Amino acid sequence: MYLKKLHLRSFRNYVDRQVEFTAKKTILVGNNAQGKSNLLEAVELLATLKSHRTSRDRELVLDTATASQIEAIVERTHSTNELSIIFRKQGRRTVAVNRENLRRQLDFLGVLNAVQFSSLDLDLVRGAPETRRNWLDGLLIQLEPVYSNILQQYNQVLRQRNALLKKIRAVRQDDPNGSIDSFEPQLRLWDEQLAAAGSRVTRRRARVVARLDPIARRWHQKISGETELLEVKYLPNVEWTEDEPSKVQRAFLTRIEERRIAEQYQGKTVVGTHRDELEFAINETPARHYGSQGQQRTLVLALKLAELKLIEEVIGEPPLLLLDDVLAELDPNRQKQLLEVIGDRFQTIITTTHINSFNQNWIKDSQILKVQAGTIITAFL
Amino acid sequence: MHLIKRPDKEVQALAQALVAAKQKVGFCKICFHLSAEPVCSICNNQNRDRSTVCVVGDSRDVIALEKTREYRGLYHVLGGVISPMDGIGPEQLNIEALVRRVTKESVEEIILAISPSVEGETTTLYINGLLRPFTKVTRIAFGLPMGGDLEYADEVTLARALEGRRELD
Ligand SMILES: Nc1ncnc2c1ncn2[C@@H]1O[C@H](COP(=O)(O)OP(=O)(O)O)[C@@H](O)[C@H]1O
Ligand SMILES: [Mg+2]
Ligand SMILES: [Zn+2]
Repeated sequence: MYLKKLHLRSFRNYVDRQVEFTAKKTILVGNNAQGKSNLLEAVELLATLKSHRTSRDRELVLDTATASQIEAIVERTHSTNELSIIFRKQGRRTVAVNRENLRRQLDFLGVLNAVQFSSLDLDLVRGAPETRRNWLDGLLIQLEPVYSNILQQYNQVLRQRNALLKKIRAVRQDDPNGSIDSFEPQLRLWDEQLAAAGSRVTRRRARVVARLDPIARRWHQKISGETELLEVKYLPNVEWTEDEPSKVQRAFLTRIEERRIAEQYQGKTVVGTHRDELEFAINETPARHYGSQGQQRTLVLALKLAELKLIEEVIGEPPLLLLDDVLAELDPNRQKQLLEVIGDRFQTIITTTHINSFNQNWIKDSQILKVQAGTIITAFL
Repeated sequence: MHLIKRPDKEVQALAQALVAAKQKVGFCKICFHLSAEPVCSICNNQNRDRSTVCVVGDSRDVIALEKTREYRGLYHVLGGVISPMDGIGPEQLNIEALVRRVTKESVEEIILAISPSVEGETTTLYINGLLRPFTKVTRIAFGLPMGGDLEYADEVTLARALEGRRELD
C-alpha cells in the first residue's frame, strides 16, 4: 500500500499543510519540536485510530482551533481510498472513507496499515507488562479489526466487574459478618461475561504470538549473527491448553473460583487477560534481565521486522514503516540490514535531526523534506 | 429533526405539546412506559396480544419497536440496565414488578429485547434466570453489532430481529 497524500488541518502544530509522497522513502529532517513526530502520529492515527502519545483528542487539535482534520489518499493494489478523521476539542470523532461518514470506527480500520518504530520502543523490553500487551493488541487490531471491539468489550466487563467487587468489599468492611448473598447471582453473570470476553482475547493473543514467534526468531538470528536464540512467549494469566472456546471459558471460571476470596478481599478482578504477560527470552533468559542496550535494540528491531512481515503476510500488502528518530541510533550494520529488508517494497517515513549519520544508500532514492515549525518544504541536499 | 424547515406554526404547536407532555408525563403503572395516564395506551389497547411481553431497557426502545408495526404484544420497561459502575443493580430496575406480572398474569412468552452491550447482556441473562421457571423466555436475534442501540437500528433490522428470536438456554 502507498500513502500518496496527507493533508493536515489544525492538527497539532500544523495549521494547514499538504504533503505529497513522491518516493518509497521519505526522510523528514528538522530540529527538535518542529512537527516531525506529529506527522508520523497522523499516519499512525489513520492506521489504528490510536496514538501512542495520547488518548485525548483535545491534544491533537491546534491550540487556537476547535477541531482538526487528517485527510489522506491511500493507494492499494486494487483500490484507491480517501480517508478522513476529524478530531474535536469537545465531542466525538468523525471518521470517513471515500467521503462517507462511518457509524462504526471499526469499518475505518484496515484501509491503511503501519508499523511504528521509535526509540521509545526499547520500553517493549524494559517496560511494564502493559507496554507489551498494548503492542500485541495494536498488532492484532491491524490484523483483524474486529479485535478492537473484542478488547473494548473485555475492558468494559472488567470495569463493571471491578465496580461490583468494590461494592462487595465495602459491604464486607461495614459488617464483616454481613451477607453478600444478594450479590451472588449478579457476580456469577459477570464471571461468565469475563470468561466469555477473556476467552476471545486470550485465544487471539495466543494465535498471533504463535505466528510472530518464528518470524521474530529468524530476524533476530540474522541481525545478531546466528549466535542468539530469541523466543517470544505468551504467558496468559489464565492458562489453557485446548484452543476451544468452551474449554478456555471453563479454565477462566475455574481460576475465578480459586481466586474468589482474594478478589472479594481486594475488591477487584485479579483473574484475566489484563494480567497476561508477553516474554522475550534470549537463549532462555528473559531479555529484561539480559543484555546491553545494543542487544535490546537488536531485539526490538527483530520484533518490529516481524510485525512488518506478519502484517504483510496477513493483509497481502506491505504496510508502511514509520521510523521515528531510531535510524540514527542504529549502527551501520543494523542500518544496512534494515535497508535490505525494506528494499523497495515497504513505503517508509523516517524522521531525524541529523541526516549525516545515515548510510548513503538510505539517502540515495529518498524524498527529503525539511520540517520547521509546522511547515514542510522540499529540501535539496 | 428538521425543525428549521418546518413552518413556525407547526414548531409552536410542537413546543406546546412538548411542554404539556413534560408537565403531565409519568410512567405507566403496569409496564413503566412513559405515559400521561396511569395506564398507557398500549396496555389499555384491548386488541393487543396479552400473552406476550417484550422487555426493553427504556421507553425509547418501545418507540423504536412500535415503529416496526410488527409487534402486537405488550411491553415492560426496565428503566435501565444492570451497571455496577453507575450504582445500578437489579433492585434499581423494574424487575420485581416484571416477576409479579409474569407470575400473576397469564404470560406465555417473554421476549427480551435489551441492547446488546455487556450491561444489556448481563441484564438479559439475569432476567432469564429469574423468569425461566415460570414461562418461555426468548431474546431477539441481533443482527446488530455488540454495543449497538435499539434506538439506532433501522426498522427493517429490528423487525427481522423480532422474527428471528430464539429461546435462551
Ligand atoms: N495541539 C497542539 N497545538 C499546537 N502545537 C502543538 C500541539 N501539540 C504539539 N504541539 C507542538 O508540536 C511540537 C512537537 O512536535 P513533534 O512533532 O513532537 O516534534 P519533533 O519534530 O521533535 O518530532 C512542539 O513544539 C509542541 O508545542
Ligand atoms: Mg520527534
Ligand atoms: Zn403500559
